[in-house]
Amino acid sequence: MNTKNIVDKTYYWIDHTAKEQTLRLARMISRRNFLSRLGAMLAGAATLPLLPVARSFAQESVQEIGDDQSCEYWRYCALGGTLCTCCGGTITSCPPGAEVSPITWVGTCHNPADDRDYLISYNDCCGKSACARCSCHNTERDRPVYFPSNSSSILWCFGTETRTYHCTVAVVLGEAAGGD
Amino acid sequence: MRVITKTLLCLAFALPVAHAQIKPQTIGSNETMSDPGPNWFVVHAGDAGYVFDATTGEMQGLISIANQSPGVRANMERKEFYSPSVFWSRGTWGERTDRLIVHDFENLSPVAEIEIPPKATLLGFRAYTGMMSDGRHLGINNLTPAQSISIVDVQDREFVGEISTPGCSLVLPVENNDFLTICGDGTLMMIDLDKNGQETNRVRSDKFFDVMEDPIYDRPQRTTDGWFLFTHGGKGFNVTTSGNSVSTSSTFDIVSEDDAADGWWPGGRELASVHKGLELLYVTMHQGGQYSHHEPGTEIWVFNMAAGIRIGRIEFETPVAHLLVTQEDEPLLIIGDEEGGTHVYDALTFTHERTIVMPSARMYIDL
Repeated sequence: MNTKNIVDKTYYWIDHTAKEQTLRLARMISRRNFLSRLGAMLAGAATLPLLPVARSFAQESVQEIGDDQSCEYWRYCALGGTLCTCCGGTITSCPPGAEVSPITWVGTCHNPADDRDYLISYNDCCGKSACARCSCHNTERDRPVYFPSNSSSILWCFGTETRTYHCTVAVVLGEAAGGD
Repeated sequence: MRVITKTLLCLAFALPVAHAQIKPQTIGSNETMSDPGPNWFVVHAGDAGYVFDATTGEMQGLISIANQSPGVRANMERKEFYSPSVFWSRGTWGERTDRLIVHDFENLSPVAEIEIPPKATLLGFRAYTGMMSDGRHLGINNLTPAQSISIVDVQDREFVGEISTPGCSLVLPVENNDFLTICGDGTLMMIDLDKNGQETNRVRSDKFFDVMEDPIYDRPQRTTDGWFLFTHGGKGFNVTTSGNSVSTSSTFDIVSEDDAADGWWPGGRELASVHKGLELLYVTMHQGGQYSHHEPGTEIWVFNMAAGIRIGRIEFETPVAHLLVTQEDEPLLIIGDEEGGTHVYDALTFTHERTIVMPSARMYIDL
Protein backbone atom coordinates (compact mmCIF):
# COMPACT_ATOMS: atom_id res chain seq x y z
CA MET A 1 0.00 0.00 0.00
CA ASN A 2 1.52 3.22 -1.10
CA THR A 3 1.33 6.51 0.72
CA LYS A 4 -1.39 7.90 -1.59
CA ASN A 5 -3.73 5.01 -0.75
CA ILE A 6 -3.21 5.49 2.96
CA VAL A 7 -4.14 9.19 2.71
CA ASP A 8 -7.20 8.42 0.58
CA LYS A 9 -8.43 5.78 3.03
CA THR A 10 -7.91 8.15 5.96
CA TYR A 11 -9.95 10.90 4.27
CA TYR A 12 -12.66 8.34 3.44
CA TRP A 13 -12.75 7.19 7.07
CA ILE A 14 -13.06 10.78 8.32
CA ASP A 15 -15.85 11.58 5.83
CA HIS A 16 -17.71 8.37 6.62
CA THR A 17 -17.45 8.79 10.38
CA ALA A 18 -18.54 12.44 10.25
CA LYS A 19 -21.53 11.51 8.05
CA GLU A 20 -22.58 8.69 10.36
CA GLN A 21 -22.27 10.81 13.48
CA THR A 22 -24.19 13.71 11.91
CA LEU A 23 -27.01 11.42 10.80
CA ARG A 24 -27.11 9.83 14.26
CA LEU A 25 -27.27 13.28 15.88
CA ALA A 26 -30.00 14.37 13.47
CA ARG A 27 -32.05 11.28 14.34
CA MET A 28 -31.68 11.92 18.09
CA ILE A 29 -32.50 15.68 18.29
CA SER A 30 -34.54 18.22 16.36
CA ARG A 31 -32.96 21.24 14.62
CA ARG A 32 -34.71 23.58 17.04
CA ASN A 33 -33.29 21.67 19.96
CA PHE A 34 -29.79 21.87 18.48
CA LEU A 35 -29.99 25.62 17.90
CA SER A 36 -31.32 26.26 21.36
CA ARG A 37 -28.45 24.31 22.93
CA LEU A 38 -25.90 26.06 20.72
CA GLY A 39 -27.36 29.46 21.68
CA ALA A 40 -27.26 28.60 25.36
CA MET A 41 -23.64 27.55 25.04
CA LEU A 42 -22.65 30.81 23.30
CA ALA A 43 -24.54 32.94 25.83
CA GLY A 44 -22.90 31.03 28.66
CA ALA A 45 -19.47 31.63 27.19
CA ALA A 46 -20.14 35.37 27.06
CA THR A 47 -20.81 35.45 30.78
CA LEU A 48 -17.79 33.42 31.83
CA PRO A 49 -15.94 35.28 34.61
CA LEU A 50 -12.85 36.25 32.62
CA LEU A 51 -11.68 39.23 34.70
CA PRO A 52 -11.90 40.21 38.36
CA VAL A 53 -14.33 43.04 37.53
CA ALA A 54 -16.46 40.66 35.49
CA ARG A 55 -16.45 38.20 38.38
CA SER A 56 -17.84 40.85 40.74
CA PHE A 57 -20.65 41.61 38.33
CA ALA A 58 -21.26 37.92 37.87
CA GLN A 59 -22.32 37.58 41.48
CA GLU A 60 -25.96 37.08 42.13
CA SER A 61 -27.97 40.29 41.79
CA VAL A 62 -28.12 42.68 44.71
CA GLN A 63 -31.21 42.46 46.84
CA GLU A 64 -33.06 45.75 46.68
CA ILE A 65 -35.17 47.67 49.13
CA GLY A 66 -36.44 51.25 49.16
CA ASP A 67 -37.42 54.02 46.75
CA ASP A 68 -34.66 54.92 44.28
CA GLN A 69 -36.19 58.39 43.84
CA SER A 70 -35.58 59.13 47.52
CA CYS A 71 -32.33 60.47 48.99
CA GLU A 72 -32.69 57.82 51.72
CA TYR A 73 -32.35 54.95 49.22
CA TRP A 74 -29.40 52.88 50.40
CA ARG A 75 -27.15 53.31 47.33
CA TYR A 76 -27.20 57.09 47.73
CA CYS A 77 -25.36 57.17 51.09
CA ALA A 78 -22.50 59.25 49.62
CA LEU A 79 -24.33 60.93 46.75
CA GLY A 80 -24.22 64.68 46.51
CA GLY A 81 -26.22 65.77 43.48
CA THR A 82 -29.42 65.20 41.57
CA LEU A 83 -30.94 61.75 41.16
CA CYS A 84 -31.14 60.57 37.53
CA THR A 85 -34.07 58.37 38.54
CA CYS A 86 -36.07 61.60 38.89
CA CYS A 87 -34.87 62.97 35.54
CA GLY A 88 -35.80 60.33 32.97
CA GLY A 89 -32.97 57.94 33.74
CA THR A 90 -32.67 54.91 35.97
CA ILE A 91 -30.47 53.90 38.86
CA THR A 92 -27.82 52.70 36.37
CA SER A 93 -28.50 54.67 33.18
CA CYS A 94 -28.51 58.32 32.17
CA PRO A 95 -31.59 60.21 30.97
CA PRO A 96 -32.06 60.63 27.21
CA GLY A 97 -29.27 62.52 25.50
CA ALA A 98 -26.99 62.80 28.51
CA GLU A 99 -23.46 61.43 28.40
CA VAL A 100 -22.21 59.26 31.23
CA SER A 101 -18.90 60.21 32.79
CA PRO A 102 -16.42 57.32 32.81
CA ILE A 103 -14.62 58.80 35.81
CA THR A 104 -16.41 58.67 39.14
CA TRP A 105 -16.26 59.01 42.86
CA VAL A 106 -16.83 55.93 44.95
CA GLY A 107 -18.79 55.39 48.12
CA THR A 108 -19.33 52.43 50.40
CA CYS A 109 -22.98 51.93 51.33
CA HIS A 110 -24.74 49.45 53.57
CA ASN A 111 -27.60 47.52 51.99
CA PRO A 112 -30.21 46.87 54.68
CA ALA A 113 -31.81 44.19 52.51
CA ASP A 114 -28.90 41.77 52.90
CA ASP A 115 -26.94 43.53 55.65
CA ARG A 116 -23.84 43.84 53.44
CA ASP A 117 -21.64 46.78 52.40
CA TYR A 118 -21.22 47.53 48.69
CA LEU A 119 -18.89 49.71 46.66
CA ILE A 120 -21.00 52.22 44.76
CA SER A 121 -19.76 54.11 41.71
CA TYR A 122 -21.44 57.50 41.37
CA ASN A 123 -21.31 58.36 37.68
CA ASP A 124 -22.40 61.83 36.70
CA CYS A 125 -24.52 62.20 33.56
CA CYS A 126 -23.33 65.22 31.62
CA GLY A 127 -23.81 67.57 28.71
CA LYS A 128 -27.27 68.90 29.56
CA SER A 129 -28.61 71.50 31.93
CA ALA A 130 -28.71 70.59 35.60
CA CYS A 131 -31.86 68.55 36.17
CA ALA A 132 -32.26 69.99 39.68
CA ARG A 133 -34.92 67.49 40.72
CA CYS A 134 -34.50 65.24 43.77
CA SER A 135 -31.34 66.95 45.01
CA CYS A 136 -29.51 64.98 47.68
CA HIS A 137 -26.55 65.80 49.84
CA ASN A 138 -25.44 62.59 51.51
CA THR A 139 -21.91 62.46 52.83
CA GLU A 140 -21.23 59.02 54.29
CA ARG A 141 -17.44 58.42 54.16
CA ASP A 142 -17.16 61.64 52.15
CA ARG A 143 -13.68 63.16 52.05
CA PRO A 144 -12.49 66.71 51.30
CA VAL A 145 -11.91 67.98 47.78
CA TYR A 146 -8.14 67.42 48.00
CA PHE A 147 -8.96 63.68 48.14
CA PRO A 148 -11.19 63.70 45.07
CA SER A 149 -11.87 59.98 44.61
CA ASN A 150 -14.02 60.03 47.73
CA SER A 151 -15.33 63.58 47.51
CA SER A 152 -18.93 64.40 46.66
CA SER A 153 -18.19 68.15 46.56
CA ILE A 154 -16.94 67.88 42.98
CA LEU A 155 -18.74 67.81 39.65
CA TRP A 156 -17.56 64.53 38.12
CA CYS A 157 -18.20 65.25 34.45
CA PHE A 158 -14.69 64.32 33.42
CA GLY A 159 -13.81 62.61 30.15
CA THR A 160 -17.08 63.60 28.53
CA GLU A 161 -17.61 65.75 25.45
CA THR A 162 -19.27 68.45 27.51
CA ARG A 163 -18.64 68.78 31.21
CA THR A 164 -21.88 70.40 32.35
CA TYR A 165 -23.57 68.41 35.11
CA HIS A 166 -27.03 66.92 34.63
CA CYS A 167 -27.60 64.21 37.27
CA THR A 168 -26.01 61.17 38.95
CA VAL A 169 -26.51 57.40 38.80
CA ALA A 170 -25.39 54.88 41.43
CA VAL A 171 -23.91 51.62 40.13
CA VAL A 172 -22.99 48.70 42.37
CA LEU A 173 -19.38 47.72 41.65
CA GLY A 174 -19.24 44.84 44.06
CA GLU A 175 -19.25 43.89 47.68
CA ALA A 176 -16.96 45.99 49.86
CA ALA A 177 -14.07 44.17 51.47
CA GLY A 178 -14.67 46.03 54.73
CA GLY A 179 -13.63 49.29 56.37
CA ASP A 180 -13.33 52.48 54.42
CA MET B 1 -75.93 118.00 45.58
CA ARG B 2 -75.62 120.18 42.51
CA VAL B 3 -72.85 122.18 44.19
CA ILE B 4 -70.88 119.03 45.01
CA THR B 5 -71.18 117.77 41.43
CA LYS B 6 -69.90 121.06 40.00
CA THR B 7 -66.98 121.06 42.46
CA LEU B 8 -65.95 117.54 41.50
CA LEU B 9 -66.13 118.39 37.82
CA CYS B 10 -63.89 121.42 38.34
CA LEU B 11 -61.36 119.28 40.24
CA ALA B 12 -61.43 116.64 37.54
CA PHE B 13 -60.46 119.23 34.93
CA ALA B 14 -57.90 120.88 37.22
CA LEU B 15 -55.90 117.71 38.13
CA PRO B 16 -54.37 117.08 34.67
CA VAL B 17 -53.23 120.68 34.64
CA ALA B 18 -51.45 120.12 37.95
CA HIS B 19 -49.70 117.01 36.54
CA ALA B 20 -48.73 118.83 33.40
CA GLN B 21 -46.71 121.25 35.48
CA ILE B 22 -44.21 118.52 36.57
CA LYS B 23 -41.01 118.67 34.55
CA PRO B 24 -40.35 115.28 32.92
CA GLN B 25 -37.33 113.53 34.39
CA THR B 26 -34.44 112.25 32.33
CA ILE B 27 -32.26 109.25 33.02
CA GLY B 28 -29.11 110.41 34.74
CA SER B 29 -25.58 109.14 34.30
CA ASN B 30 -24.75 105.81 35.90
CA GLU B 31 -23.70 105.53 39.50
CA THR B 32 -20.14 104.43 40.11
CA MET B 33 -18.95 102.40 43.06
CA SER B 34 -16.78 104.19 45.56
CA ASP B 35 -13.78 102.44 47.05
CA PRO B 36 -14.94 99.75 49.47
CA GLY B 37 -15.50 101.08 52.97
CA PRO B 38 -15.46 99.35 56.35
CA ASN B 39 -17.46 96.13 56.56
CA TRP B 40 -18.06 95.87 52.84
CA PHE B 41 -18.37 92.37 51.51
CA VAL B 42 -19.39 90.39 48.42
CA VAL B 43 -22.10 87.74 48.35
CA HIS B 44 -21.47 85.16 45.63
CA ALA B 45 -24.97 84.00 44.74
CA GLY B 46 -26.00 82.33 41.51
CA ASP B 47 -24.14 83.93 38.62
CA ALA B 48 -23.44 87.21 40.39
CA GLY B 49 -21.39 88.87 43.08
CA TYR B 50 -23.50 91.31 45.13
CA VAL B 51 -21.45 94.04 46.78
CA PHE B 52 -22.88 95.15 50.13
CA ASP B 53 -22.07 97.50 52.93
CA ALA B 54 -22.82 95.40 55.99
CA THR B 55 -22.99 98.49 58.21
CA THR B 56 -25.96 99.92 56.35
CA GLY B 57 -27.21 96.84 54.57
CA GLU B 58 -27.20 98.81 51.29
CA MET B 59 -26.23 97.14 48.05
CA GLN B 60 -23.48 98.94 46.16
CA GLY B 61 -23.52 97.12 42.83
CA LEU B 62 -23.23 93.76 41.12
CA ILE B 63 -20.48 91.79 39.39
CA SER B 64 -21.60 89.42 36.66
CA ILE B 65 -19.99 86.02 37.14
CA ALA B 66 -20.11 82.92 34.98
CA ASN B 67 -22.57 80.38 36.26
CA GLN B 68 -19.71 77.99 36.91
CA SER B 69 -16.84 79.60 38.72
CA PRO B 70 -14.57 78.63 41.60
CA GLY B 71 -15.19 82.05 43.14
CA VAL B 72 -14.44 85.75 43.24
CA ARG B 73 -11.42 87.45 44.74
CA ALA B 74 -10.74 91.14 45.30
CA ASN B 75 -7.44 92.95 44.90
CA MET B 76 -7.76 96.09 47.01
CA GLU B 77 -4.49 97.60 45.78
CA ARG B 78 -5.32 97.27 42.12
CA LYS B 79 -9.03 97.91 42.77
CA GLU B 80 -10.08 94.86 40.78
CA PHE B 81 -12.15 91.74 41.17
CA TYR B 82 -11.07 88.44 39.61
CA SER B 83 -13.43 85.62 38.75
CA PRO B 84 -12.18 82.47 37.01
CA SER B 85 -15.05 81.66 34.69
CA VAL B 86 -16.08 78.63 32.68
CA PHE B 87 -18.00 79.17 29.44
CA TRP B 88 -19.65 76.70 27.07
CA SER B 89 -20.03 77.68 23.44
CA ARG B 90 -23.73 76.75 23.44
CA GLY B 91 -24.65 77.82 26.93
CA THR B 92 -24.80 74.48 28.71
CA TRP B 93 -22.96 72.40 26.11
CA GLY B 94 -20.38 72.77 23.40
CA GLU B 95 -16.75 73.77 23.54
CA ARG B 96 -15.43 74.85 26.91
CA THR B 97 -13.28 77.93 27.35
CA ASP B 98 -11.96 79.16 30.69
CA ARG B 99 -11.10 82.79 31.31
CA LEU B 100 -10.01 84.83 34.28
CA ILE B 101 -12.35 87.81 34.07
CA VAL B 102 -11.10 91.08 35.55
CA HIS B 103 -13.72 93.57 36.81
CA ASP B 104 -12.92 97.10 37.90
CA PHE B 105 -14.19 98.57 41.16
CA GLU B 106 -15.64 101.71 39.63
CA ASN B 107 -18.18 100.18 37.26
CA LEU B 108 -17.96 96.53 38.31
CA SER B 109 -17.56 95.84 34.60
CA PRO B 110 -15.31 93.35 32.85
CA VAL B 111 -12.18 95.22 31.77
CA ALA B 112 -9.96 92.30 30.77
CA GLU B 113 -10.02 88.57 30.29
CA ILE B 114 -7.12 86.16 30.38
CA GLU B 115 -7.26 82.72 28.81
CA ILE B 116 -6.48 79.93 31.26
CA PRO B 117 -6.42 76.13 30.78
CA PRO B 118 -9.95 74.69 30.61
CA LYS B 119 -9.45 72.91 33.90
CA ALA B 120 -10.73 75.27 36.60
CA THR B 121 -12.76 73.61 39.34
CA LEU B 122 -16.42 74.22 38.68
CA LEU B 123 -17.92 74.60 42.14
CA GLY B 124 -17.13 77.55 44.39
CA PHE B 125 -14.85 77.40 47.44
CA ARG B 126 -12.99 80.34 48.96
CA ALA B 127 -9.71 78.38 48.94
CA TYR B 128 -10.00 77.49 45.24
CA THR B 129 -8.36 80.81 44.43
CA GLY B 130 -5.57 82.63 46.21
CA MET B 131 -3.70 85.87 45.59
CA MET B 132 0.02 85.53 46.24
CA SER B 133 1.79 87.88 48.63
CA ASP B 134 3.07 90.02 45.73
CA GLY B 135 -0.51 90.96 44.85
CA ARG B 136 0.30 90.09 41.26
CA HIS B 137 -0.03 86.34 40.84
CA LEU B 138 -3.33 84.59 41.31
CA GLY B 139 -3.54 80.83 41.87
CA ILE B 140 -6.59 78.96 40.55
CA ASN B 141 -7.39 75.38 41.54
CA ASN B 142 -7.72 72.87 38.67
CA LEU B 143 -9.30 69.43 38.68
CA THR B 144 -9.64 67.19 35.62
CA PRO B 145 -9.51 65.07 37.97
CA ALA B 146 -5.72 65.48 37.80
CA GLN B 147 -4.87 68.18 40.32
CA SER B 148 -2.96 71.33 39.44
CA ILE B 149 -2.86 75.09 40.02
CA SER B 150 -2.97 77.71 37.25
CA ILE B 151 -0.90 80.84 37.91
CA VAL B 152 -2.06 84.10 36.31
CA ASP B 153 -0.21 87.41 36.26
CA VAL B 154 -2.97 89.98 36.82
CA GLN B 155 -0.60 92.88 36.23
CA ASP B 156 0.58 91.80 32.79
CA ARG B 157 -2.76 90.12 32.12
CA GLU B 158 -1.26 86.80 31.12
CA PHE B 159 -1.36 83.15 32.06
CA VAL B 160 2.02 82.21 33.55
CA GLY B 161 1.81 78.45 33.80
CA GLU B 162 0.27 75.38 35.33
CA ILE B 163 1.80 73.78 38.40
CA SER B 164 1.13 70.09 38.87
CA THR B 165 0.06 69.20 42.41
CA PRO B 166 -0.71 65.47 42.30
CA GLY B 167 -2.74 64.44 45.33
CA CYS B 168 -3.04 68.02 46.57
CA SER B 169 -5.59 70.81 46.12
CA LEU B 170 -6.51 74.33 47.30
CA VAL B 171 -4.44 77.52 47.26
CA LEU B 172 -3.18 78.84 50.60
CA PRO B 173 -0.85 81.80 49.94
CA VAL B 174 1.98 82.45 52.39
CA GLU B 175 4.87 84.89 52.49
CA ASN B 176 7.50 85.29 49.74
CA ASN B 177 5.06 84.64 46.92
CA ASP B 178 4.74 80.99 47.96
CA PHE B 179 1.63 78.96 48.59
CA LEU B 180 0.57 75.82 50.41
CA THR B 181 -1.74 73.12 49.18
CA ILE B 182 -3.40 70.36 51.23
CA CYS B 183 -2.56 66.79 50.29
CA GLY B 184 -4.45 63.55 50.69
CA ASP B 185 -1.43 61.83 52.20
CA GLY B 186 -1.80 63.95 55.34
CA THR B 187 0.82 66.59 54.51
CA LEU B 188 0.99 70.13 53.19
CA MET B 189 3.03 70.95 50.12
CA MET B 190 4.63 74.37 49.76
CA ILE B 191 5.33 75.63 46.24
CA ASP B 192 7.88 78.44 45.96
CA LEU B 193 7.25 80.93 43.16
CA ASP B 194 9.75 83.41 41.83
CA LYS B 195 8.90 87.02 41.02
CA ASN B 196 7.61 85.90 37.62
CA GLY B 197 5.27 83.33 39.10
CA GLN B 198 7.37 80.34 38.04
CA GLU B 199 7.91 77.43 40.41
CA THR B 200 11.40 77.29 41.86
CA ASN B 201 11.04 74.72 44.62
CA ARG B 202 8.57 72.53 46.48
CA VAL B 203 8.74 70.99 49.94
CA ARG B 204 6.41 68.85 52.06
CA SER B 205 5.50 69.14 55.69
CA ASP B 206 5.61 66.12 57.93
CA LYS B 207 2.44 64.07 57.92
CA PHE B 208 0.16 65.54 60.59
CA PHE B 209 -3.29 64.09 59.83
CA ASP B 210 -4.92 60.98 58.42
CA VAL B 211 -7.44 61.66 55.68
CA MET B 212 -9.31 58.44 56.39
CA GLU B 213 -9.38 58.77 60.18
CA ASP B 214 -10.07 62.48 60.64
CA PRO B 215 -9.46 64.65 57.56
CA ILE B 216 -8.54 68.32 57.59
CA TYR B 217 -11.49 70.41 56.43
CA ASP B 218 -11.09 71.91 52.97
CA ARG B 219 -11.94 75.30 54.51
CA PRO B 220 -8.54 76.64 55.70
CA GLN B 221 -8.47 79.95 57.56
CA ARG B 222 -5.84 82.67 57.10
CA THR B 223 -4.19 83.93 60.26
CA THR B 224 -1.74 86.75 60.85
CA ASP B 225 1.31 84.54 60.47
CA GLY B 226 0.04 81.53 58.58
CA TRP B 227 -3.06 79.35 58.45
CA PHE B 228 -5.41 77.68 60.89
CA LEU B 229 -6.64 74.24 59.87
CA PHE B 230 -9.13 72.01 61.64
CA THR B 231 -10.33 68.48 61.19
CA HIS B 232 -13.84 67.13 60.73
CA GLY B 233 -13.62 66.04 64.37
CA GLY B 234 -12.65 69.54 65.50
CA LYS B 235 -8.90 69.28 66.16
CA GLY B 236 -7.06 72.52 65.41
CA PHE B 237 -3.63 73.04 63.84
CA ASN B 238 -1.52 76.13 63.34
CA VAL B 239 0.54 76.26 60.16
CA THR B 240 3.54 78.52 59.65
CA THR B 241 6.26 78.66 57.03
CA SER B 242 9.84 79.79 57.14
CA GLY B 243 12.22 79.63 54.22
CA ASN B 244 11.95 76.12 52.87
CA SER B 245 10.11 74.57 55.78
CA VAL B 246 6.47 74.12 56.69
CA SER B 247 5.60 73.70 60.36
CA THR B 248 2.36 72.31 61.70
CA SER B 249 1.50 72.25 65.38
CA SER B 250 -1.53 71.11 67.32
CA THR B 251 -3.42 73.90 68.99
CA PHE B 252 -6.76 74.09 70.76
CA ASP B 253 -9.58 71.75 69.90
CA ILE B 254 -12.87 73.14 68.62
CA VAL B 255 -14.63 70.11 70.06
CA SER B 256 -13.71 69.18 73.63
CA GLU B 257 -14.23 65.68 74.98
CA ASP B 258 -17.44 66.80 76.68
CA ASP B 259 -18.66 68.43 73.46
CA ALA B 260 -17.85 65.26 71.55
CA ALA B 261 -19.79 63.22 74.08
CA ASP B 262 -22.76 65.50 73.43
CA GLY B 263 -22.41 64.88 69.68
CA TRP B 264 -21.14 68.32 68.60
CA TRP B 265 -19.43 68.57 65.21
CA PRO B 266 -18.34 71.44 62.96
CA GLY B 267 -20.44 71.55 59.79
CA GLY B 268 -21.72 73.65 56.94
CA ARG B 269 -20.40 75.05 53.67
CA GLU B 270 -18.05 77.99 54.29
CA LEU B 271 -18.37 77.13 57.95
CA ALA B 272 -15.53 79.08 59.54
CA SER B 273 -13.97 82.53 59.53
CA VAL B 274 -11.12 84.15 61.45
CA HIS B 275 -10.68 87.76 62.54
CA LYS B 276 -6.92 87.97 62.15
CA GLY B 277 -6.30 91.07 64.26
CA LEU B 278 -8.46 90.02 67.19
CA GLU B 279 -7.54 86.34 66.81
CA LEU B 280 -11.15 85.22 66.94
CA LEU B 281 -12.45 82.09 65.26
CA TYR B 282 -16.13 81.62 64.36
CA VAL B 283 -17.35 78.11 63.46
CA THR B 284 -20.83 76.74 62.75
CA MET B 285 -21.59 73.74 64.94
CA HIS B 286 -24.33 71.14 65.07
CA GLN B 287 -25.20 67.97 66.93
CA GLY B 288 -25.00 64.97 64.66
CA GLY B 289 -22.89 62.01 63.77
CA GLN B 290 -19.76 61.18 61.83
CA TYR B 291 -19.93 62.29 58.18
CA SER B 292 -22.35 65.11 59.04
CA HIS B 293 -19.66 67.65 58.12
CA HIS B 294 -21.86 69.51 55.63
CA GLU B 295 -24.75 69.78 58.07
CA PRO B 296 -25.58 73.46 58.80
CA GLY B 297 -24.94 74.71 62.31
CA THR B 298 -27.58 75.33 64.95
CA GLU B 299 -24.95 77.37 66.80
CA ILE B 300 -21.88 79.45 66.03
CA TRP B 301 -19.04 78.97 68.49
CA VAL B 302 -16.56 81.76 69.00
CA PHE B 303 -13.00 81.03 70.12
CA ASN B 304 -10.21 83.20 71.42
CA MET B 305 -7.45 81.61 69.36
CA ALA B 306 -4.59 82.99 71.46
CA ALA B 307 -6.00 81.55 74.66
CA GLY B 308 -7.52 78.52 72.95
CA ILE B 309 -10.83 78.90 74.75
CA ARG B 310 -14.41 79.25 73.62
CA ILE B 311 -15.79 82.68 74.51
CA GLY B 312 -19.23 82.57 72.98
CA ARG B 313 -22.07 80.49 71.62
CA ILE B 314 -24.76 81.98 69.37
CA GLU B 315 -27.91 79.95 68.84
CA PHE B 316 -29.99 80.08 65.67
CA GLU B 317 -33.51 78.93 64.95
CA THR B 318 -32.62 78.46 61.28
CA PRO B 319 -29.34 76.55 60.89
CA VAL B 320 -26.36 78.41 59.44
CA ALA B 321 -24.45 77.17 56.37
CA HIS B 322 -22.02 80.05 55.62
CA LEU B 323 -20.33 82.74 57.63
CA LEU B 324 -17.80 85.52 57.32
CA VAL B 325 -16.35 87.92 59.87
CA THR B 326 -15.21 91.29 58.53
CA GLN B 327 -11.70 92.41 59.45
CA GLU B 328 -12.52 95.82 60.93
CA ASP B 329 -11.82 96.79 64.55
CA GLU B 330 -15.55 96.64 65.16
CA PRO B 331 -16.24 93.58 63.05
CA LEU B 332 -19.54 92.31 61.78
CA LEU B 333 -20.49 88.69 61.38
CA ILE B 334 -22.25 87.82 58.13
CA ILE B 335 -24.18 84.58 58.20
CA GLY B 336 -26.14 82.69 55.57
CA ASP B 337 -28.84 80.33 56.80
CA GLU B 338 -29.98 77.17 55.08
CA GLU B 339 -33.17 78.88 53.88
CA GLY B 340 -31.13 81.41 51.93
CA GLY B 341 -31.32 84.34 54.33
CA THR B 342 -28.33 86.64 54.85
CA HIS B 343 -28.05 88.24 58.30
CA VAL B 344 -25.64 90.67 59.91
CA TYR B 345 -24.57 90.36 63.56
CA ASP B 346 -22.24 92.36 65.74
CA ALA B 347 -19.27 89.99 65.85
CA LEU B 348 -18.34 90.97 69.42
CA THR B 349 -21.69 91.26 71.16
CA PHE B 350 -23.38 88.64 68.96
CA THR B 351 -26.50 90.78 68.59
CA HIS B 352 -28.53 90.72 65.39
CA GLU B 353 -28.29 93.99 63.45
CA ARG B 354 -30.14 93.38 60.21
CA THR B 355 -31.33 90.96 57.60
CA ILE B 356 -30.38 91.50 53.97
CA VAL B 357 -32.85 90.26 51.39
CA MET B 358 -31.09 88.62 48.49
CA PRO B 359 -30.74 85.28 46.66
CA SER B 360 -29.29 82.32 48.51
CA ALA B 361 -25.53 82.74 49.01
CA ARG B 362 -22.82 80.36 47.84
CA MET B 363 -20.19 82.15 49.86
CA TYR B 364 -19.19 85.52 51.27
CA ILE B 365 -15.98 87.36 50.43
CA ASP B 366 -14.54 90.12 52.60
CA LEU B 367 -13.40 93.42 51.07
